[in-house]
Amino acid sequence: MKLAEPLQLAQEDLYRLYVAGLLANDRAQCQKIFEEWLAVAPDLSLLYENLVCRSLYEVGERWEQGHISVATEHLATAISESLLNLTYPRLFATPRNGRVAVVACVANEYHQIGGKMVADIFELHGWRGYFLGANTPLADLKTLLAEKRPDVLALSLALPANLDRLTHAATEVHAAFPALPIVVGGQAFRWLERAQVEHLPGVHCLKNLGELETWIQKETAPKNV
Amino acid sequence: MFEAAAIAEALRNFVWDSAPVLALGLDENLCVTAINAQSQRVLPATTVGQPLAELLVAFNRPDDLAARIRQPGAVHRFTISTASGMPETLGFRFFPLPGGTLAVAGLDFAEQQQLRTEVLKLNSDLNNLTRQLHQTNAELRELNQLKNQFLGMAAHDLRAPVGLLMSYNEFVLEEAGETLSAEHRGFLQTCRATAEGMKQLIENFLDVAVIESGQLRLECAPVTVAEIIAGVRPLAGLIAGKKQIELIVAAADEARTVCGDAAKLQQVLVNFISNAVQHSVPGQRVWLTVRGEPTQLIFAVRDEGQGLSPAEQARLFAPFARAGTKKTAGERSTGLGLAIARQVIAAHGGRIWVESEPGHGATFLFALPIQETTQPTEPT
Repeated sequence: MKLAEPLQLAQEDLYRLYVAGLLANDRAQCQKIFEEWLAVAPDLSLLYENLVCRSLYEVGERWEQGHISVATEHLATAISESLLNLTYPRLFATPRNGRVAVVACVANEYHQIGGKMVADIFELHGWRGYFLGANTPLADLKTLLAEKRPDVLALSLALPANLDRLTHAATEVHAAFPALPIVVGGQAFRWLERAQVEHLPGVHCLKNLGELETWIQKETAPKNV
Repeated sequence: MFEAAAIAEALRNFVWDSAPVLALGLDENLCVTAINAQSQRVLPATTVGQPLAELLVAFNRPDDLAARIRQPGAVHRFTISTASGMPETLGFRFFPLPGGTLAVAGLDFAEQQQLRTEVLKLNSDLNNLTRQLHQTNAELRELNQLKNQFLGMAAHDLRAPVGLLMSYNEFVLEEAGETLSAEHRGFLQTCRATAEGMKQLIENFLDVAVIESGQLRLECAPVTVAEIIAGVRPLAGLIAGKKQIELIVAAADEARTVCGDAAKLQQVLVNFISNAVQHSVPGQRVWLTVRGEPTQLIFAVRDEGQGLSPAEQARLFAPFARAGTKKTAGERSTGLGLAIARQVIAAHGGRIWVESEPGHGATFLFALPIQETTQPTEPT
């Protein structure tokens, strides 16, 4: 992990304090650490990966192992999501490149923080990243795609149980907008295989934010004609 | 096989020692006789002998408490004041016992779950709206930049042809004015005045484009009050004189110095005076005054016009804001002068404002921090 010098504590210690704050649902402690980290982070995507993502995966694992209640897990997610607001003055000041991404969680998918981070990563790379929120009805999604005419649609999936809805949404969108690339990803792909979605026309699976960044860089790079 | 009595005993012990419910023993007067572990945590101030009614918050305390607890199996929602300071609504059940009553209270699980879901959804909605707000702001900033670029280019390209029109108009009036009929001279003078208005508008647009793009560059240097006024007096005198307005200049401390862009400060003062003249009738007076305070110089332009309402004063420094009062000779203005003035003064680290009462004229002021050049004193 990058970063560290100006922080009083070593980064790993800081991370552990942050996770302790999330588990104790101590928003103030988390915000203090987040702000300190944000102030020195040279690259917001590192903050997303090394603090927000990593901590949420850890909290999720603790819930899966029965160490914390679902209420604690939900509140930890709510705190993390609120803290993302602190990055926006910097995030939305990134110079634009004219590209547009629409990011949505499929119908019945209520876990939205992953999708929101995806939209933010697009913003960080100069794209306009429109985030439609949790549980986006397919009809609304298609209406927005027709209106915004994006360069890519990103669908976020947190629960493997919603794979059928994702498959349905991707198929319908491809039928309506055949030239539109669709990228899918999210926590569910810790358990699902790429092949379970990549057989769909126009669909590409990106398992984590790192893969997303690589894809964005490739798409944004000037193409040789 | 367990005996029923043994099961009941085990349950009783569990509830008493570790169940997440409040259990209180009550006597026939509904005073507390026993307190379980959870009650001690939630209501640590509760003591044996205390009436149950005292544990309930006043607004929620039923008058018929004694009657209610005699309803077997009923759940009563009472609100208690917890140790955390937060009132909590619990479902109370009352069980008759020999010589008293057992009160058991707990949270409504379904309600708690529903509330948590709602709160989380509201939190997500709020975060999404915050993100949308930031995103929309960014888009508006981009649009504003584009608008400024367009404004700057358009104004720049218009300035030269308008200048040419003015020059030729002037030339014709000077060279052939005598040979023209009064009507034709009037046409040319109207053209001249219109072109002058366009030139002013274009220059204001250029100023706005420069200011809003963040490219306003001040050429700051120490400048005295006398130097600033000297640059204002000729043009301001001309503007006032054309309308037979008397311009009175009264500057104390003319030698005092501010660090500023003299041309820009003069532009602001000319704008103030021009506005004052436009809202005055012939024979009235306009004052330009400067007064020194320990840390700042205050420049003020006062007129005897119609004055401004508080609502007009509040929006006066916004672009394209115009006072509701009519200009006395139907003069035209772009509505940008005061917005530009505000930005110029802000860039100097100063403050701009207006003081007025309807019917009693208006005073436009700006204050600039003083930069004193202190002379080193010789040791004695």
